[in-house]
Amino acid sequence: MDEATRDAARGVAVEARGLARRFGAHVALAELDLRIEPGEAFGLLGANGAGKTTFLRLVTGFLLPSAGRVAVDGRSPVDDPRGVSRRLGFVAETTRLYPELRVRRLLGFVAGARGLAGADARRRADEALARFGLEGVADRPVGHLSKGFQQRVNLAQAFLHDPPLVLVDEPTSGLDPLQQAEVRGALGALRGRRTLVLCTHDLGEARALTERVGVLHRGRLVALGPTAELLGGADPLALFRGERGAA
Amino acid sequence: MRPFRALFAKELVVLFASPLAYLALALVALVTALIFFDHLRVYNQTLFLYASTNMRGFDTGSVPDYVNLRDTVFFPVMETLGITLIGLVPLVTMRVFAEERARGTDELLLTTDLSPGAIVGAKFAATYLFVAAMMATSFVYPAMAIVQGGLGAEHLAAVFLGLTLHAAALASIGLACSAWTGSQLVAAVAGWAVGFVVWDFGWVASFQLVSEDAVRFLDALSLHLRYGSFAEGIVSLGHVAYFVALAAFAAALARFSFVWRRVSGG
Amino acid sequence: MSALALCGWIALAFGAGTVYAVGAEGWFGRANLAAGALALAAAAVRAALRARGASASAFRGPLARGAAGVALALAGGVGLERAVTATGVRFDWSFERRFELSEATRRALAELGTVEAILFAEPLDPRARSTRLLLGELAATGRLRVRERALGEAAEEEDRFGVAGSNTVVLLAGGRSETVDRPTEGTIYEALYALRAREAGVAYVMRGAGEGDLSDAAPGGYSGLAAALETEGFRVRELVTATGAEVPDDADLVIALAPRRPLREEALAALERHLARGGRLVAFLEPGAQSGLEPLLARWGLASPDALVVDPASGALAGDPPGVNPLAYSYATTHPIARGLDASRMTFFRRARAFAPRPPEPEDRVQGVVFSSPRAWLAEPGAAARDGGPPPRPAGAEEDYHPLVAAGRYARDGRETRIVAFGDAELASNRYLRTLYNLDLVLNAALWAAEREPDIAIRPKAVVSGRLQLPLPVPDTFTMFQGLGLLLPEALLLAAALAWARARSA
Repeated sequence: MDEATRDAARGVAVEARGLARRFGAHVALAELDLRIEPGEAFGLLGANGAGKTTFLRLVTGFLLPSAGRVAVDGRSPVDDPRGVSRRLGFVAETTRLYPELRVRRLLGFVAGARGLAGADARRRADEALARFGLEGVADRPVGHLSKGFQQRVNLAQAFLHDPPLVLVDEPTSGLDPLQQAEVRGALGALRGRRTLVLCTHDLGEARALTERVGVLHRGRLVALGPTAELLGGADPLALFRGERGAA
Repeated sequence: MRPFRALFAKELVVLFASPLAYLALALVALVTALIFFDHLRVYNQTLFLYASTNMRGFDTGSVPDYVNLRDTVFFPVMETLGITLIGLVPLVTMRVFAEERARGTDELLLTTDLSPGAIVGAKFAATYLFVAAMMATSFVYPAMAIVQGGLGAEHLAAVFLGLTLHAAALASIGLACSAWTGSQLVAAVAGWAVGFVVWDFGWVASFQLVSEDAVRFLDALSLHLRYGSFAEGIVSLGHVAYFVALAAFAAALARFSFVWRRVSGG
Repeated sequence: MSALALCGWIALAFGAGTVYAVGAEGWFGRANLAAGALALAAAAVRAALRARGASASAFRGPLARGAAGVALALAGGVGLERAVTATGVRFDWSFERRFELSEATRRALAELGTVEAILFAEPLDPRARSTRLLLGELAATGRLRVRERALGEAAEEEDRFGVAGSNTVVLLAGGRSETVDRPTEGTIYEALYALRAREAGVAYVMRGAGEGDLSDAAPGGYSGLAAALETEGFRVRELVTATGAEVPDDADLVIALAPRRPLREEALAALERHLARGGRLVAFLEPGAQSGLEPLLARWGLASPDALVVDPASGALAGDPPGVNPLAYSYATTHPIARGLDASRMTFFRRARAFAPRPPEPEDRVQGVVFSSPRAWLAEPGAAARDGGPPPRPAGAEEDYHPLVAAGRYARDGRETRIVAFGDAELASNRYLRTLYNLDLVLNAALWAAEREPDIAIRPKAVVSGRLQLPLPVPDTFTMFQGLGLLLPEALLLAAALAWARARSA
């Protein structure tokens, strides 16, 4: 079994040590120490502006850390960006896709951008279309799809190369209840064989999809523990206010 | 190479699927046609005028040397087109990087196997290809005149090469401007402004504080000096190297914008 | 990009644009240049401070590497450009380099044997470049040796040949020399012909009935025609018709240059006798004139109704209303007179009449040689233009190709008579002889009539400096513009509409 297959089989670890990010005087993330185990479904909660998206962007390497380091399977996105990008799929908060491209062509493009060869790329795109129920809209431009379908396309592109780590940022934001259920169902089906990091401020979503959660408040990790425990209390929202925690 | 090819192909698809691309091609073709045929009409009339007594054309023994196809049609058309392209090319380049930034799709690109250098390279290459197609479209008219006038395919090739290199240089400037903003309008305006500044550095001489050597050095970097010799049919390797260097510098600036964004976050 | 930087670039662009457009900086240009430079400087300082303020030590490495990459690209680019420029490698693909010597020039060189050419030029004279290319092309025929002298270096030679300035070529052959002050292929060709000193025959030009004057150097005179005939090797003499004398036996050619007054009966009879015994005539007519030549030509099958050819395809030329001055580009390509003439080698007629060629005898060969466009018609000679438009078309006048030049060959008593008739005389005047290909048409007609067909050729344009002073056919230009010129942008806009519709409907 090669390394990629082995990683895919069990997921990879994400580790942050003293990770910090400032934008001028504003501290977006302050000295975060966190380890997410391989294969774990981890939820990162917090109010808007707490630093969840900043954390994800530091993991993908889109932002550079002001201090500390982060590693995916021991690889730093600063020093080994390609090594990291091959191991992760990223589902951004708002669908950041190309509205003028048709769904099939978009998936084909992303597959090619991930270095997948022609026939392999086509096969994976077809599999993704089937897995996420996109066959009926495969030849429609992404911009013409409903928000729910666009989010499915967003998910599909993240899983094309079967990454051992998937970062998902607010996947059901702006969707109606039916669409939210569909997306959660799709995410739930993908758990188990990979590491999932889910950023959300939806407690129900966290309960449904994660095993362990961490809570950010103004850039600091104020709580960390099993989902049932942290979110099972009388006032889980107190965590969002930074009032109680076990970080 | 595969990710590079995938992005290059995607850029071409997006470019040619967009109505804006055809609009830009149509504008360039129309402007070239109007400029060219107007100059040709004036040239034909001038030639006949010199045969009349009023202009004393025969008394001088000949029509003046400067009344010829090259000096009366091609040079002015090339000059006018050179300046016109400063206004048109940024309309093509403004969306290339700025739109990615505004949509957030640059983040998607950077989570793939595409490095910032590969992204810049693929987008530059696709834009150059489009610009060459744009020049080929507009070049139909001078080409017809060159063939009819029997000037020769080599001269034709030199003129086309000069036009295309000039357009590619303007595209390079426009792409660099597009890389540093998320607004297509800002990218277009910056592309126009920088293009006009670089067109002719003669204005540097206005600053007393600038030394004569610096003025001469900058003057040698002016776009229009490099571009003019191609209209004469002279292909100077030094001028070709200038355009290549300009493209490389613009690409380096565009690539640096990715570093800056990782640092600044904005 | 900061707003300050953008404003700086805009101000700088307006300042630079002002200097470029006007050539000097006024207050507007200066103010913009200063404001732009200050704004950009301020923006750069702010960016540097921001970078410094934002720079965690973790950022310094990537920023420094990125900036170093930009600096390296700049330095490397400048270095590359300077290095390649210093090599001086350039390719001259200009059409000047591709002189295509005319048939006439090649023939002249071939007849002369080896010719020596000396170019006297100042070292930095830019005109000499074109001359060197031309001499190089001539030398490539293997019949010309080229030497170059810096002006002032050989004063004795310059005095001997009368060299007055830079870019002068002296041609030497057979102990004779010709000095060319403004070397072009045309002037060098004329010098080669002068060196050739070959006889083409004797051409008698009729005088006494108000014909064109060969000694008149005014624009309306015909001194240029005389010079051109002599260049071709003709000895040009006058034939005074007022006395009614016979056409001399040594006449190889008689030229009638549009007599304004009726020719005397004796003169016409003498001309008729000359033609009947195998003589040669080149006649130039004018619309509205009745000189007596017209009935004579009609008897020889070259009838010419007294009408003005109006050709709307020619547009407004030489300050006249549209169509009254035909621009001809249709030729009888099988006729030797029209050899080498085609749609891109036009001839210009200033108010012309047409011919209706019809052979008087079955074995005679009479035909049109130069034609108007198929949209031409015949109008009254004095027909006036209508409000800036062409003269009105008479009822019943049909549009057709009308011969503006016609030629005939006639077998008479074992000899051959040749006549060429032009419907316009002004095309041979000083004003228009060297317009377009008029010179070639007139001289080739004279050579054909004098049965010197091997000398028929397209001559280099004496007015050309090697930079092509030929207008493109006017009708073709308009067709091109209305056709491809507007069709192409229209097609692209339609493509844009289709792309938009497709995107909407998907």
